[in-house]
Amino acid sequence: MTVGTAPDTERLEETDTDQLTASDIPWVVIVWNDPVNLMSYVSYVFQTYFGYSEAKANKLMMEVHEAGKSVVAGGSREEAERDTLAMHSYGLWATFQKSDAP
Amino acid sequence: MAKAFKATRRGIIGTLDSGERQLLRKLFEDIIELLEPAEPANADPLAAMVGVDSTAVTPSDSAVRRLLPDAVRNDDGEALEFRRLTERSLREDKIGTLRGSALLLESSPLTLTAEQARLMARALNDVRLVLADRLKIETDEDAARLHNIDDVADADDVETYLALVYNFASWLQESLVQALFGLKDK
Repeated sequence: MTVGTAPDTERLEETDTDQLTASDIPWVVIVWNDPVNLMSYVSYVFQTYFGYSEAKANKLMMEVHEAGKSVVAGGSREEAERDTLAMHSYGLWATFQKSDAP
Repeated sequence: MAKAFKATRRGIIGTLDSGERQLLRKLFEDIIELLEPAEPANADPLAAMVGVDSTAVTPSDSAVRRLLPDAVRNDDGEALEFRRLTERSLREDKIGTLRGSALLLESSPLTLTAEQARLMARALNDVRLVLADRLKIETDEDAARLHNIDDVADADDVETYLALVYNFASWLQESLVQALFGLKDK
């Protein structure tokens, strides 16, 4: 347990920023492997939709292909929901969850 | 016979004969039919406008379930709630993509902008997802097994015919994606 102490102003601002970041990034988008989607298409979608470089898109695509899934994006819950829907619109199999969920 | 799509200075150009264009249009129409919601749009105009559908349920057809998958794993309640908020918009988005792609097939050779090529690549992807479900392609090995079926003369049963169509759609989508990559260098 900690005892609450009144922080000075500067400290308070820092803490606020930290908390904002922490509560802003706990959601992730996962793309799952399936035997249908073309590797080139998956990489193209990652480049086009997320604006990733060819190297990063290919790395994520290979991770999906070989490990069965890959975390392709992270952010607020709203962002994760929006990105998941976009992946479904492209026909990729995606889900979103809290980043610390199993 | 179809000629693969290629990136040119005038856009992405490919050739499909009339039989191939007819086949693709029919496939796009079939998927549109699968995606048309069974229930009419929500009677509440605000709900309808934002695409909320409180009656949406997990689709019983496995192909439709692949087109409109659960967005949350291991939590059916959360998945269903998200489906009710978003599924109708996703259906409409996909139907629009398939309709738009069918219209692009009116002429040959096809000259597509990047936007139109992306539209058709997405439509072909949905076609392939449904065919793969009907063909029970569940693993990479299943997909490899069907990969060599490419001769119309072999199409003496429904499964072989579907596999032929699947391989054609795959080839066409791959050529579109390669052309889209190629367009960047033009």
